[in-house]
Amino acid sequence: MTALLETTELRVTFGGLRAVDDLNLRVEAGQLVGLIGPNGAGKTTTIDAITGFVPSTGSISFDGDEVDRLPAHRRARRGLVRTWQSLELFDDLTIIENLLVASEQASLRDVFVDLVAPRRRRDDSAALHALHVLGIAELSDRMPTEISQGQRKLVGVARALAAVPKLVCMDEPAAGLDSRESIELGDRLRTVVDSGVTILLVDHDMGLVLNVCDYIYVIEFGKKIAEGTPSDIVHDDRVIEAYLGAAHRKSDAE
Amino acid sequence: MTESSSADVAAPASAAAPASAPASEQSGRRARRRFTKTDFGWIALAVGVALLLRVLLTRDMRLHFITGASLTQGALIAAIALGVVLTYRGSGVVNFATGATAMYAAYVYTDLRINGQLFIPPLPNPLVLIEAVAHHLDKKSTLTVPHWPTEISFGGRLTLPSAILVALIFAVVFGLALHFLIFRPLRNAPPLAKVVASVGVLLLLQAVVVRRFGSGAQATLLNKGVAKQVKFPFGVTMNTEQVTVIVIVIVFTVLLWGLFRFTRFGLATRAAAENEKGAMLLGFSPDFLAGSNWVLSTGISALLGILVAGNQKSVDPLTITLLVIPALSVALVGNLTSFGITTAAAFGLAMTQALIGYFGVTRTWFPQAGGSTLPGVADLLPFLVIVAVLIWRGDALPTRGAVSSGRLPFAPNPSRLSTHIFAPVVVAISAVLLMFVATPNARLAIMTTLIGVVISLSFVVLTGYVGQISLAQMMLAGISGFALSHASEQGIHLYKHTLIPSLPFPLDILFGALVAMVVGLIVAQPALRVRGVNLAIITFAFAVAMDSFLFQNPGVNGGFAGAPIRVPTGLNPVKTAVIGNGNGANVWFGVFCLAVVVVIAAAVVNLRRSATGRRLLATRSNERAAAAAGVDVAATKRTAFAIAAFIAGLAGALVGIRIGKADPSYFGDLPPALVPQSLAVFAFAYLGGIACVSGAVTAGLLVPGGIIFYILETDLHISPDFTLILGSLGVIVTAVLKPEGIAGAVGASLRDRARRREHHATLSARADRELAASATPAESGAAS
Repeated sequence: MTALLETTELRVTFGGLRAVDDLNLRVEAGQLVGLIGPNGAGKTTTIDAITGFVPSTGSISFDGDEVDRLPAHRRARRGLVRTWQSLELFDDLTIIENLLVASEQASLRDVFVDLVAPRRRRDDSAALHALHVLGIAELSDRMPTEISQGQRKLVGVARALAAVPKLVCMDEPAAGLDSRESIELGDRLRTVVDSGVTILLVDHDMGLVLNVCDYIYVIEFGKKIAEGTPSDIVHDDRVIEAYLGAAHRKSDAE
Repeated sequence: MTESSSADVAAPASAAAPASAPASEQSGRRARRRFTKTDFGWIALAVGVALLLRVLLTRDMRLHFITGASLTQGALIAAIALGVVLTYRGSGVVNFATGATAMYAAYVYTDLRINGQLFIPPLPNPLVLIEAVAHHLDKKSTLTVPHWPTEISFGGRLTLPSAILVALIFAVVFGLALHFLIFRPLRNAPPLAKVVASVGVLLLLQAVVVRRFGSGAQATLLNKGVAKQVKFPFGVTMNTEQVTVIVIVIVFTVLLWGLFRFTRFGLATRAAAENEKGAMLLGFSPDFLAGSNWVLSTGISALLGILVAGNQKSVDPLTITLLVIPALSVALVGNLTSFGITTAAAFGLAMTQALIGYFGVTRTWFPQAGGSTLPGVADLLPFLVIVAVLIWRGDALPTRGAVSSGRLPFAPNPSRLSTHIFAPVVVAISAVLLMFVATPNARLAIMTTLIGVVISLSFVVLTGYVGQISLAQMMLAGISGFALSHASEQGIHLYKHTLIPSLPFPLDILFGALVAMVVGLIVAQPALRVRGVNLAIITFAFAVAMDSFLFQNPGVNGGFAGAPIRVPTGLNPVKTAVIGNGNGANVWFGVFCLAVVVVIAAAVVNLRRSATGRRLLATRSNERAAAAAGVDVAATKRTAFAIAAFIAGLAGALVGIRIGKADPSYFGDLPPALVPQSLAVFAFAYLGGIACVSGAVTAGLLVPGGIIFYILETDLHISPDFTLILGSLGVIVTAVLKPEGIAGAVGASLRDRARRREHHATLSARADRELAASATPAESGAAS
């Protein structure tokens, strides 16, 4: 299999701080890859760098092309999309309009036609499909401010899927969900991957990540400290020390 | 001089560079780019220092660079800029009315010194209604009610110290009023509402002064010190008044620096800017801090306004008011934080402007226009400084954690076409009928309203849909008006080559609008990196710069006669109407305006319902998320700017045809304009409702000279002088109470009612479904 996404010596610096430090990631097409690490390990910054929201050095190759010089929206149009930890839905648009923003292609000619005939050939199949996959089709005409936080999370994922992406980078989709909702989300993510979309999943929820991911990267202070299948990861000493260390020491003390 | 100051500001940013230098050595185009930016700063600094030395070492340049007048101007700009910085640090408001405050205080002081009286803002006298009713019932009624006082007399000219004292007490009270009545209620409002409120205050102060003293210059009482010259080394002389003013500003700058650096008050204000709780921990109420900073701000700008009034021969309602632009530019150089840099930049700016003025009359290399010096070059300088600073600091996308505080007015999606097409059609048809029966003056009011609707529609696209606050729309209208004038008359020529021949009727209008669109795309360029209130500043500065550079340029505006516009006789607004009552304003021009309104309004509604509209609203809502959804934010903003500029251009063409010429007083901000037109149209567009087409229609009804004020004037005999006072009061009240504007607020309550009805319908439908489902339990599980 060829790698869908590959970063080589990816680095992000803020002033003197290296938030992401020479990170080499490889995401195979059709996989659900996890990226985990303690708070402040640089997980979100990694996603920001891959999707073009912070300046980075090193190379990012996506679907056979170097994309690290492309602006964020061009990467998204190539099928490299993301979700946000804080959701960032468009509060002024209905749910279906939120998805349509992602699914519609823009061209200058369309602007002129839009001024005259705004409703012609509205292809909303991708948007409706995304709502169906996540089981929130009934929300399509509601406003983001009117629905629950859990539903908003699903809308955030749906908006990413509406773009018919090749790879979705998901930033903590399970944050704030209880364990039952988290398991449900895991099931839905597996459905998404089975439908042919690759996922790079960043999350705190070890249960979710270990359950659904095919392959996992662990980072700390912006550096990769381990990678492997879920079973490799749970037995890796450095991961236990870095990621579970605090919890272990705490249980020793008790 | 100013370049060197901006380089100083960049120095802290460069401090971080050495730390990351090892990183940038190995690889990375990003790291190299940042390095270039710092390098650029050093180069700018070096060039600035070299130019400064050149100026200081040449006698004639030095003597026109360092003069009493230029330094006094610098002191006044500095004081206004310090006021801007104070309110920004104290309450996060960029106050466009700081210059107007200084102007108003100067008038208060002058009135006290010359007439011994304190003028009172004219407010509508409620008792007038009784008079009106009495008059209505009995035409011969001579009933008169007590008049609202126009001034408080002190029984003779006040002495210098007491006049200053009274004017300063006024300034303090005014600062408190601004805080408690306007900006404290707005503390969590989006930047748009704050910009609107401060623009409203500017217009109000200006309108009050115009009502009391007229729009012309008012003679002042010169202080005695003006006659006493003081000699300084290197041949520099200035009078003692000027020295006093300069010293006072420098002392204030040092005091403010100390206040913020060393006292608990300053520490608490700095803490409150980050987090209100921080200030509470230090034992200060954030409210007290914000209020105190407002008082300091109005006090300092008022004091300098007063002192400069005693120092110059006259004051007028616009000159000091619009000094807020250079003041904002230097405040931005100081990052809206540093008092020292702000004051230094203010002096540098004013001195450089004086030098440019000197070059204009003495140097042969200076560009000429129509045989005389090209005007407005000095006025371009603050704009260029603003552009340089803001683009330097801006980001193509807001960075993570950059708070986008507050929401803009809701832009409803008019989904049910049937209900939305009926009302406009009725209104349009009745407007046509009305025009045929109306008196000539009423017809003019209808035309003014229609033109007001068009210019407001340009704000709907730009500010309503994509959230960009542009104060340059009237300038774009003006560009179109002047382009139309040239295209309709002699065509466009460049060195004897005819670029554009004289164009026949609708083509010349389209040409004007297209030129406005091109300029609009230039305005859009900074908007790609500059957001919110900073964009308002940059566009306003651009509007004023273009006004003095282009509209006041005798080569463009046709000099004293104005730039005529040729109009087909059938539409000529001043020709007698063929139909109707046969007098004055040509009804067919009104019909033409109406047609433009209908077409543009339909296009703007369509835009909201289209894919492009969704991209505009997504960009307004969240630029980062929009980019992540594949929206080209830059292209989207450009599209909106282009469409809005085209619409503004059409409005400008209509204004031009309506008055028969392109005239700076209709499009500009500086005199001969009676009010800053860019600000006035923005304020009225917001008052109507900036996010929907119905708002634009409401705004059109409200504009000065429009239908509502026409009715107020003819039926209630409210003098047109009150138009702007009422309008700006309305703008302030709307910004504080109903940020969605009049039409927006009405629409919101209608939508609420509709939603509640819909909600009931879905509830009962769900109950029905559940009832049906309980019969087949297997399906109910699948449905939930």
